[in-house]
Amino acid sequence: MGNDSKATTGLYRRALLAGLWRENPTFRLLIGMCPPLAVTTAVKPALTMGISVIFVLVCSNLVTSLMRNLLKPHLRIIMFTLNIATFVTICDLYLRAYLPDMSEILGAYVPLIIVNCIIIFRAEACASKCGPVVSVLDAIGTGSGFTIALCILAGIREILATGCFFGVRVMPGGFVPWLAMQMPVGAFVTLGLILGLISAVTRKKEA
Amino acid sequence: MSKIKYFIEQSWLLIAASFCFGLLIAVTDAALSPKIEENKATKLNQLTMDLLREARRFVALDAEIEVKLAGGKKEKVKVYKAMSEAGECVGWSFNASGQGFADKIELVVAVDKNFEKIAGFNVLVSNETPGFGDRIKSSYYRSQFVEAPAEKLQLVKTGDPKKIDSEIVSITGATVSSEAVIGIINTFLIQIKEHIQQKGLTGDGK
Repeated sequence: MGNDSKATTGLYRRALLAGLWRENPTFRLLIGMCPPLAVTTAVKPALTMGISVIFVLVCSNLVTSLMRNLLKPHLRIIMFTLNIATFVTICDLYLRAYLPDMSEILGAYVPLIIVNCIIIFRAEACASKCGPVVSVLDAIGTGSGFTIALCILAGIREILATGCFFGVRVMPGGFVPWLAMQMPVGAFVTLGLILGLISAVTRKKEA
Repeated sequence: MSKIKYFIEQSWLLIAASFCFGLLIAVTDAALSPKIEENKATKLNQLTMDLLREARRFVALDAEIEVKLAGGKKEKVKVYKAMSEAGECVGWSFNASGQGFADKIELVVAVDKNFEKIAGFNVLVSNETPGFGDRIKSSYYRSQFVEAPAEKLQLVKTGDPKKIDSEIVSITGATVSSEAVIGIINTFLIQIKEHIQQKGLTGDGK
């Protein structure tokens, strides 16, 4: 009984922590790369996007997990898409109603969460095979890993592009903003450097 | 009969889920759409009131005005009469849109009560390049339109941006976006002005 409880706790912990680092969708698996490149000009929109993805992931994983025994193999992708599209639409409506400024900044990228492969990937790899608790923990972990990655990218770009972090000035008065960091090239360069750094650290650990 | 049974067996979950998800979206939309509409109206009012500071309320003209766009397309535009606290006409405003560099640009344009001078414009929607095209929102560019004559505007590459006339100095590195704004304003302003003047609605103070 004690071993069962330990195994369950271990499973829950693994489900929660995997997405944060070992299976971080942005920095380790390199999936769902549209938002990290498109909405990381500042931390506020990046955080909003991250929280939106967590909401959609949690809801879609929970619903997929609850209906996993009823899913027909040939209908599962359409069921996932239907499920994800519903929660993305709800999220989009909520942002338009209560965070209109963020909704405007994020523009088409909120509806585009529907085609973000992180969500369909977790539905296929985890929620369609595991129970609701594991699926929700997996969604929170993966979504949080994605949000942290977005915020790291956005933080670096916002500081270098505007001298501010979360809208608050952090760079000295004489700082000359790097305008390129606000443009797509800034996203590619920052992401490339971070991926290089992570790769170097991981290799060093493995060696 | 067996085919129908097979169809239902295979697809009942999809049909039931579609119904439930559709219902969920419909309920959410019904609950949030008044707030969304309110946000849109507040934003439009704020942007327009920034341009026409004496305006306290806006009254839409009964009939929408048809504007001919490039390529033969037509668009119906709602024109608003800006009223002061005393109930006098202090200007006009309308929404105008057209293709920018990256995506569609939507503007709110305001003019004085006689349609002689532009009161200014504000950007409602734009996805122009950050740091370049999105400077159409900057005061450097927008201030050139304030008090400019309500006639065909021209974009020039060099000039004094502080001089108020029909020549608008382009934003360096964002000629396409600058041109797009001029094009949108010219297209809508001239046709709406003609219509308003033909109807004898200008400067009546009512």
